[in-house]
Amino acid sequence: MTKPVLKVTDITVRFGGLVAVNKAKLSIEVGELIGFVGPNGAGKTTLMRVITGIITPNEGTVELLGKNLEGLAISKRIRAGMALAQQVVQPLREMTLLENVTFACGGAKTLNPITAMCSFNRDEEKDRAMKLLKRVGLQDSANREPSELPLGYLKRLEVARALALDPQLLLLDEPLAGLNQFEAGGLADLIVDLNRSGLSILLIEHNLREVMRICPKVYVQDQGKPLAFGQTDEVMKRPDVVKAYLGGV
Amino acid sequence: MAYEITLITTMAISVLFALSLNFITGFCGQISLGHAAFMGVGAYTSAMLMKAGIPLILTLPVAAALAGLLGLLVGIASLRVKHDFLAITTMGVVFLFVGIVRQQEFLGGEIGISGIKSSPLGREGFMLFCILLAAIFAAYSLMVKRSWMGFVFDSIADNEDVSRVLGIDVPRYKLIAFVIGTSVAGVAGGLYVQQFRFIGPDSFGFVESVSVLAMVIVGGIGSVWGVIIAAAILSVLPLWFQFIDDYKILVYSALLFIMMRFAPDGLAGLTNRLIKSLRKKV
Amino acid sequence: MIYLELVVQGIVQGSIYALIALGLTLVYGLLRILHVAHAALFTLGGYIGVLVTNSTGNFPLAMLTAMIVVGFVGIAVYKLAYEPLLEKPPYIALIASIALFIASEEIFRILFGPYGLSYTNPPLQLSFELLPDFYLKQGELLVIVGSIIMLTVLALVSGKTRMGVSWRATVTDPKMAQAFGINIQHVRYWNFFVGSALAAAAGVLVALLNNLVEPTMGSVTSYKALAIIVLGGLGSIRGTLIASLAIGIIESFGTIYIGHLMNRDAIAFAFLIVVLMFRPQGLLGAK
Repeated sequence: MTKPVLKVTDITVRFGGLVAVNKAKLSIEVGELIGFVGPNGAGKTTLMRVITGIITPNEGTVELLGKNLEGLAISKRIRAGMALAQQVVQPLREMTLLENVTFACGGAKTLNPITAMCSFNRDEEKDRAMKLLKRVGLQDSANREPSELPLGYLKRLEVARALALDPQLLLLDEPLAGLNQFEAGGLADLIVDLNRSGLSILLIEHNLREVMRICPKVYVQDQGKPLAFGQTDEVMKRPDVVKAYLGGV
Repeated sequence: MAYEITLITTMAISVLFALSLNFITGFCGQISLGHAAFMGVGAYTSAMLMKAGIPLILTLPVAAALAGLLGLLVGIASLRVKHDFLAITTMGVVFLFVGIVRQQEFLGGEIGISGIKSSPLGREGFMLFCILLAAIFAAYSLMVKRSWMGFVFDSIADNEDVSRVLGIDVPRYKLIAFVIGTSVAGVAGGLYVQQFRFIGPDSFGFVESVSVLAMVIVGGIGSVWGVIIAAAILSVLPLWFQFIDDYKILVYSALLFIMMRFAPDGLAGLTNRLIKSLRKKV
Repeated sequence: MIYLELVVQGIVQGSIYALIALGLTLVYGLLRILHVAHAALFTLGGYIGVLVTNSTGNFPLAMLTAMIVVGFVGIAVYKLAYEPLLEKPPYIALIASIALFIASEEIFRILFGPYGLSYTNPPLQLSFELLPDFYLKQGELLVIVGSIIMLTVLALVSGKTRMGVSWRATVTDPKMAQAFGINIQHVRYWNFFVGSALAAAAGVLVALLNNLVEPTMGSVTSYKALAIIVLGGLGSIRGTLIASLAIGIIESFGTIYIGHLMNRDAIAFAFLIVVLMFRPQGLLGAK
């Protein structure tokens, strides 16, 4: 039996008196595309940040391909095979989009400072970066800087950069937010495409239309607590899930 | 001729010193307000060894090593603190350095160390030696800028958190920047000792740290050529115009203030903008 | 008895630091800028105190003049140096501030000479016996009492008056405060006025204690005050006050016990660095 690519067990995060995440539990098998939904304030981004190591949980474990990530620095978790496209976009502002993605492609060269110091060629990475930008539809803005571009573009940059890291697990935090229906559909199709080529994906999204269209399974969190985990059409019909969305606003 | 030689040697040493700070602050984005302390460590090390009869050139690696070691410690400390806290911590380091050195009799206490013999290379030879070292480090800086290490530094200076999320071991890179920058400052310190043949606890204090930071900023943080030019000019300005010497500090600080207020990206930034606007007209 | 003396010395020094550091914390809390130039205002206060006392013989008048004049100069510094740089990365304002401070030290030196000025008739120099064998100078008592009074007034103003409440609102959330009709500009002006006035008071008091005001008297104190606000946790008034007293006392005892290793200033900075290593957010700072 193969190990799940991601296993989250009993993760709890407390901020002062507030419990942001309460015994979250989810697992993703290799090659799955899982939607991660829940009303606002459900603690989804917080859980994402626990998985990447930005936040240290008070309890619980996160395992990537069987490896317990406890105590591991963010950069080491990334190198262990995950990549994140953040909800609050953070492009490298002094670089063009192409440079942003080129940099992300340089994983092998940036692993240690001595190798980095002795490597000068960026052509290979530039080519790869251009291909990735094409994939997310940003090829025409390759030489522009983030400050000139709208949010939707920057969200796609996040995805391109995450893909550049060649991960086994892709974490997407609301990549469709800020996109119009046409763009959202296109990016969602891309996500399906990526998944078909073997990439495991955890997708936080508010755009339920797309989630229900592309995600076979879905994990629902409400006010920090896991509410449901299973086949999308079944879960989304459950009365407690519907209530959580309607009640939570 | 002797006057010009002194001028050029001073320039070369200042350029080396400023480039070493540029490595830390300019390349890696870590604001250091205490860089003179590392020059001081190198200077005192070289001075003590030279008084014991060891030729300058053999003292330089030791000076570099000790300065680099202190740099490593400060670098490690810098990992724990952010931004403003980092600036103050580095400031604390230089005050700590001066405060400790003053009290140590074996380092000359308040009086400092004097009576260093002049260089066996002769004044011209020593000048060429300094120019050589400055040129080597300038070339190295340019090389690093073009390399993937420079790419990583750019990313860290731009957004540290994003760099981590892109798999960069940020602490390791910061430490390397610190160690390289501070070791080279140590070498500059050794050269300083040979040139001025006297050092005291006040030679490497907060004002000196701010002055070298001024050179980096006026040149344009991160720009190797900008810093070279700025350091060369600012270091000899008081020597060229004797009347400035008395007002040297006022001139430096006024200049720094004006730069910050009107052109924070320094000479390099001004040049870039000039080039861009000229291009538009053509 | 020596312990009591050391403690009292520490409190006197700590009170001075508190008066200076408070202005810094006020500025940081509001603008997130490390206002190094603050020390120039401290020195200016000292100079005004001496000059006015020497020409009028009236010390309280001198104190008042210093506080008011420097208060306005503080506002000018804000308008000249900080307001235009608010949108830029914070290290730019920091370096501009440092440059301003160093320039001001030089200006004092050029205007008034490097050796400083003294009171022609230093007031409040008498000592009185507080406890058997333990003498306290009137000046020192004034420092302690004066600081307590000023800080209490400040606490009352910030807690009870409209300006105080506006200030606290602006620090917490400037946009929200503006939405409520609070005039951010005025809050900022008051902020700089009060902070600078306190620094001026400290300057006058220090000039009194040492019977000397000289161009560099601000330097180490200023850097130390910065270290103090960092130690207390940037932006925390309570933290600043605690850190001020702590540093004052630690220096006092430190110079006696480890003064052979490092001088007084180094002790303060060493303490700062050690604390930051264990608590990078300062003693009372938010994580």
